[in-house]
Amino acid sequence: MNEKLIIGRSIETGSWVHKLDARAKITGMLLYVAVILLSRSWMAMALLAIFSIAVMASTRIPLKYFLKAAKPLRYLMLFIFIVQLLSVKTGEAVLTLGSWSIYEGGLRLGAFSVIRMFFLITFTALLTFTTTPGKLNQGLEGILAPFKKFGLKPDRITLMISISLRFIPTILDESQIIMKAQASRGADLKELPLKEKGRMLVSLLVPIIASAFRRAQDLVYSMEARGFRMDAPRSQYHRLRWGIFDTIFITMFIVMGIAVALV
Amino acid sequence: MNESYEGQGLEGEGQAIISLDGVSFGYDPEHPILQNITLSISQGQWVSLVGPNGCGKSTLVKLLNALLPKSAGEIVVSGMQLSEETIGSIRQCIGMVFQNPDNQFIGATVEEDILFGLEGLCLSYAEMAERLQAYTTRLGINHLLSKHPGELSGGQKQRVAIASILAMEPGIVIFDEASSMLDEGSRNDLLGILQDMRAEGKYTILMITHDADEILASDRVLALHGGGLAADVTPAELFRDEELLQKCHLCEPYPWRLTRELQNQGIHVDVPASEKELIDTLWP
Amino acid sequence: MAIELQQVSYSYADRSLWKLTALRDINLSVPTGSMVGIAGATGSGKSTLLQLFNGILKPTEGTVKVLDVTIQAGEKSPKLMPLRRRVGLVFQFPEQQMFEDTVEKDLIFGPLNFGMSLEEAKARARQAMLDMGLDLALLERNPFKLSGGQMRKAAIASVLAMDPEVIVLDEPTATLDPISRAELIHLLERLCREQGRTIIVVTHRMDELLPYADNWLVLKEGSTAFQGSVKALADDPSILEQCGLTVPQSLRYWRAVADRFGLTDEAPRLTAESLAELIASLPSGSGNSSEQHEGKRDGHE
Repeated sequence: MNEKLIIGRSIETGSWVHKLDARAKITGMLLYVAVILLSRSWMAMALLAIFSIAVMASTRIPLKYFLKAAKPLRYLMLFIFIVQLLSVKTGEAVLTLGSWSIYEGGLRLGAFSVIRMFFLITFTALLTFTTTPGKLNQGLEGILAPFKKFGLKPDRITLMISISLRFIPTILDESQIIMKAQASRGADLKELPLKEKGRMLVSLLVPIIASAFRRAQDLVYSMEARGFRMDAPRSQYHRLRWGIFDTIFITMFIVMGIAVALV
Repeated sequence: MNESYEGQGLEGEGQAIISLDGVSFGYDPEHPILQNITLSISQGQWVSLVGPNGCGKSTLVKLLNALLPKSAGEIVVSGMQLSEETIGSIRQCIGMVFQNPDNQFIGATVEEDILFGLEGLCLSYAEMAERLQAYTTRLGINHLLSKHPGELSGGQKQRVAIASILAMEPGIVIFDEASSMLDEGSRNDLLGILQDMRAEGKYTILMITHDADEILASDRVLALHGGGLAADVTPAELFRDEELLQKCHLCEPYPWRLTRELQNQGIHVDVPASEKELIDTLWP
Repeated sequence: MAIELQQVSYSYADRSLWKLTALRDINLSVPTGSMVGIAGATGSGKSTLLQLFNGILKPTEGTVKVLDVTIQAGEKSPKLMPLRRRVGLVFQFPEQQMFEDTVEKDLIFGPLNFGMSLEEAKARARQAMLDMGLDLALLERNPFKLSGGQMRKAAIASVLAMDPEVIVLDEPTATLDPISRAELIHLLERLCREQGRTIIVVTHRMDELLPYADNWLVLKEGSTAFQGSVKALADDPSILEQCGLTVPQSLRYWRAVADRFGLTDEAPRLTAESLAELIASLPSGSGNSSEQHEGKRDGHE
């Protein structure tokens, strides 16, 4: 797959974060979002930055990987910064060019937005770097488990996610081949004008969808032949185990949340 | 059109582990794919199921574990008559390896795929760990446990499929053209695996195939044609019967073909086991 | 020469950490109007090589010359659309690329893309169906409603309809039954001998192509291990084993007979029929249980 999409890859270093229960990490992530939103002063931002960098460092993954994760969105961040800078007109004017000024409020909000976005992305990357998709999926199931009493069926959601994780790379590879095959018949999707592209897209989508249906049918046979039945009891080889470090992890975020709110 | 074979069956001496009696199937009652099939397979046999594409071989085996519902007749597997209540138990007795290595790979990693069936059996952690270790070692894939199927070759994926099935410890293993999408080397590997399985004596093997080498390795050939059983013969008998070969869209293995052509030239030899043997026979 | 490769290499993701060299220093010549077989173990680079023939992939080193078009590594390549029509590339399981609601529409897709008129395209489609031995009535059918074998042939016909000078096929017989496989190879041979097209076939089943191909290319780990006539291959089949391939039985039996009688100049007999005829014409040993060796037949290979 694309080397540009570094987010989504898991990088093994065996740090304490890697060993945490996936449920703790997901919950921590949700709490972190709250922490980010509660940070509304320069002091809070500083605390946020120190805390985040400390957690990232503790994963023993080189910080450059986190930067690489944010890289694809650098233009978006720049855009948001500029929009905030120019549109928010509270506080004193910091810079004036003729009749047009940049205000302190704009500068502040612009900077805050960028910082928040940056840490949101890098922290999400942290989640995926330290947790395999399979474990994340399991963690999700664990977190959704209490909602069973409201009629939710987390194991179905988990099944859908695992089958997607299984087949998305395969389907992407297949689509490469189909594009080449159609290009060999003169339908080069890259070289065509926009109007033509639409028609040619059918030559890509129909085979992929047909293939997906075929796969689904074969998969069902395979799963049923191996005794699978929806909602039947199953044992679990890899079980999630909540430990003291998981509690510590969650507590860290709660403490941070309180800290940034007060500052 | 229904064809039924009325000759000597090759059920063998052991207990019948699979038996079909008057089994029929069709998506549309006007156009049945299979009609009135009666046959039985003994424990420990290695049976090849052959016939032209579209004749219902794949359909037939899917009736055995109720992946498809039969329209008529009785099916008995491992002493259990196939019914709503026994489907679960019968599926535990039968393992199936399909043709497309990708579309039967359920897990996102090799380990996940093998665990899929084991978790469904509600085994304990210890039991699963043991079987995981045993069967991945046996099939030479224990260094691939964390790999996504996209990183594996067709042959490796089929080995994972076989490991997943054998780990569930079925008595009957069905291969539905499991080697036809593989390259030559992987096909030979697969044949080797089957021969090992046969040597163990615990498995009854049913193999849908076109491959002459796989047919030769088996004990018995069931030929389907026109919705019914057209023949129940040994591999040797199959390869000597030109008409049957044509019907089943099969070709004899090269040494057999050569022997026949030599016969046409007036030279009579037995089917040689190797080229050296032929040379020595013709010009000692 | 229909196709010529000079010191061609191809690497995936050439400028990154993930670089994977699929082909190394390949030199290859395919004579116009010949039938060529390409063999090699999985991972030897066969599929990558095919994609160089119609410009889907461009070499990272070396020169690829196809018909009158030259693609030089590192330089801007010429317009490749015309080449794509003249070199038809049929991928594995081509029936999986069909998408139209009738066979005819799928067959005219290629020709229309290359600028043929509708009438011309339809005429080409009809001809291609006949060349592939398919009933014209199937043109109206939905491709997904054809049998497996028919779909395969129809998919190949959709490339044939472009009227290419060179046809390249990646495992065209995969998953077909033995009789259908023989039939398909025979059809391809006819396209070569009767219509003068250059046919290149990548195969795992060398035995079915051996009696027909003029030349062979054997790849090993991205490099050329053997390139030459079928006779040169038959003279020393051990190269196949070195490349992780099994020597086909037809070749082993031929080699055994040829060695026994020192037949170094004979054209190889790679079908059972032709080998049996040759054996019948050779002096008999006493192990031969028939006296009819004297009455040898007229026909020989």
